[in-house]
Amino acid sequence: MNASTTTTPVLARPAVLAAHGVRKSFRVGDRELEVLHGVDFTLAPGEILALTGPSGAGKSTLLHILGLLDRPTSGTVTLDDASAWELPNEERARLRNRKLGFVFQFYHLISELTALENVLLPAMVGESTREYRSNRTRHEGAARGMLASFGLSERLTHRPAQLSGGERQRVALARALLYDPPIVIADEPTGNLDRATGERVLELLFREQAARKFSLLFVTHDDRLAARCERHVVMDDGVIQPRAAD
Amino acid sequence: MFRSFLSWRYLLHRRTNLIGIFGVMLGVGALIAILSIMTGFLQQTRASVRGTLADFFVRPAPLMHSGDDSVEYEPERVLEIVRAEPGVRAATPQYSWYGMLVPGGVDTARTAELQSRPLDAQDNAMEVVGIDFETEATTTALDEALRRPPFRGHAVADPKQPFARPPRYKPDGLEKPRIVLGDALMGRLEVRRGEEITLLTAVFDPESRTLVGSNKGFIVAGSFRTKDNEIDSRRAYVEREVLADFLRTDARYTCVLVMLDDYEHDGERIRESLAKKLEAAKLIEGQSAEILSWEQMRQTLLGAIKNERVLMAIMLSLILVVACFSIFAILSMMVTEKRRDIGVLTALGATPRGVMHTFLMIAFWDALVGAVAGAVLGTWLAVKIDPFEKWLSSTFHVQIFDRSIYYFDEIPSVVEPLWVAVIVLGALLCALLFAAIPAWRAARMDPLEALRYE
Repeated sequence: MNASTTTTPVLARPAVLAAHGVRKSFRVGDRELEVLHGVDFTLAPGEILALTGPSGAGKSTLLHILGLLDRPTSGTVTLDDASAWELPNEERARLRNRKLGFVFQFYHLISELTALENVLLPAMVGESTREYRSNRTRHEGAARGMLASFGLSERLTHRPAQLSGGERQRVALARALLYDPPIVIADEPTGNLDRATGERVLELLFREQAARKFSLLFVTHDDRLAARCERHVVMDDGVIQPRAAD
Repeated sequence: MFRSFLSWRYLLHRRTNLIGIFGVMLGVGALIAILSIMTGFLQQTRASVRGTLADFFVRPAPLMHSGDDSVEYEPERVLEIVRAEPGVRAATPQYSWYGMLVPGGVDTARTAELQSRPLDAQDNAMEVVGIDFETEATTTALDEALRRPPFRGHAVADPKQPFARPPRYKPDGLEKPRIVLGDALMGRLEVRRGEEITLLTAVFDPESRTLVGSNKGFIVAGSFRTKDNEIDSRRAYVEREVLADFLRTDARYTCVLVMLDDYEHDGERIRESLAKKLEAAKLIEGQSAEILSWEQMRQTLLGAIKNERVLMAIMLSLILVVACFSIFAILSMMVTEKRRDIGVLTALGATPRGVMHTFLMIAFWDALVGAVAGAVLGTWLAVKIDPFEKWLSSTFHVQIFDRSIYYFDEIPSVVEPLWVAVIVLGALLCALLFAAIPAWRAARMDPLEALRYE
């Protein structure tokens, strides 16, 4: 899967997520500060891509725009052939719910919910009470199965505070995969874990990707992780740097 | 789905929410309990006032001869017209006058003892009412008041003949007429049954046609106790003929009391009809001639209780407002604490509206749990207020509700379901209104700011 050894013509595949000419500026005091200078980006179906770069390069900003959490100042983001930022708020929220799975560096589990309930949260958010009730058995089955396969079958009713860092990230991973989304965005998923635990989480993520064939976008500072990805994109100073290895 | 689920979880896992719940419970409970007691107080007062007042008062003729020979000074013609009116159950004439009662009479030692105390015009001033007992008993609730066990007075020997000679009274020469005192009045004057008491008042002098001071001795026959402290401490009954003879006015009565079969239903119709007939017969006319309802007679008292009830409701609503303020504060704090959760929910597909609803629902559960608990507590307290007060009084040896002051055998309380519903709904609305600002702030929170936070 190393970018330098892959022979798959990923850019030839149709993009599941793409950005064209994306610019983003912030107002700092009385002046505009542009952090993305017309970024073009594509993520092919089933592709594993690492986005790296120094701090302040604009990786997180791009990630948030691609994750439909932040609106670009100009340019378009296309998800499943739909220009996501032209959709109404509700539609975009639905796309986030069904098409995107997020794994954060700090897990971001809800402390009042058990591990199982945290995994079920996307279904609770995305469905009406009636829909959720009728699908509950199916969702719970999927969540329990996933947590069991992540080695957490004994931890279903535990709250985040009762779990270790690695366990929390595995719960967060299960939450991201509940709806079987076509895209998973992982923002420094091992950044808060020791090497061995982080390795275990990555193994699970790669294993699930191989089984489910979702597109996986990593934002990372970890060159070893980037080297394991199908494609490696480097950002610097708000633009994507051309790399021969890609 | 997540809105109700998550808001409920937040509610259960944040102990600070209990402050909001407790505040709403206290506000709703106090409002229901106090309003129920005030409503009971109002109803009880209305019932007792009505019992002693009858439904209507016909106040017809001037007391002194005005030169018009057609003016009737005897009540018979008024009574005849009133009793002939369909819907009228009973009617009786009364002669109402004012004066001071001073204990004292033939028993010199006792008189000296009683009169050695300083006189207080306010304590001794009272209304003396001349009645025809036979018709009075069928018209007002005096009969019942004579049978009710006294608090501070002494019951009359025979409630069927309250003006009969009391057992202890041995006339020394001319037999004196009898007087029946209100329970509190008799207690205050510290007189006993069979003792003499003197009425000091102004009477008409037919020759000079002016008021002159006069007094008359009466024998205390006993006491009556209505449920109206004002009446029991300011009224005494004597026979109408005795009073009219003593006062020497032309008129032999000052009003006719009328009791109807159904005041609520027929009151206004009968009043209009009687006014027309009495006016046609020239029995009522001019400024002093009126037909007043019992509510008009005591509108100051009833109005005061009603106003007091409204004031209490306003004051106690402030507790609710404070409770809603605490919900506002708790929720504002929670929005700041939960900014990361807000970011996660947004990333998982929640809309700003969904986030807002989640926080609004926390306030809703807060208010609902508090209001339902408050409704149960308030209703229980209103229903059990009497035994509860007795328990409190006996446990802490402090008399909280003095039954002899309020003249109720028990603390009155009427729980009105409509009021309970209005108060519960009001609490919910108030909480939602106060929660709207932090909930709106949560909805406007930037999910990225929230996600960066750790």
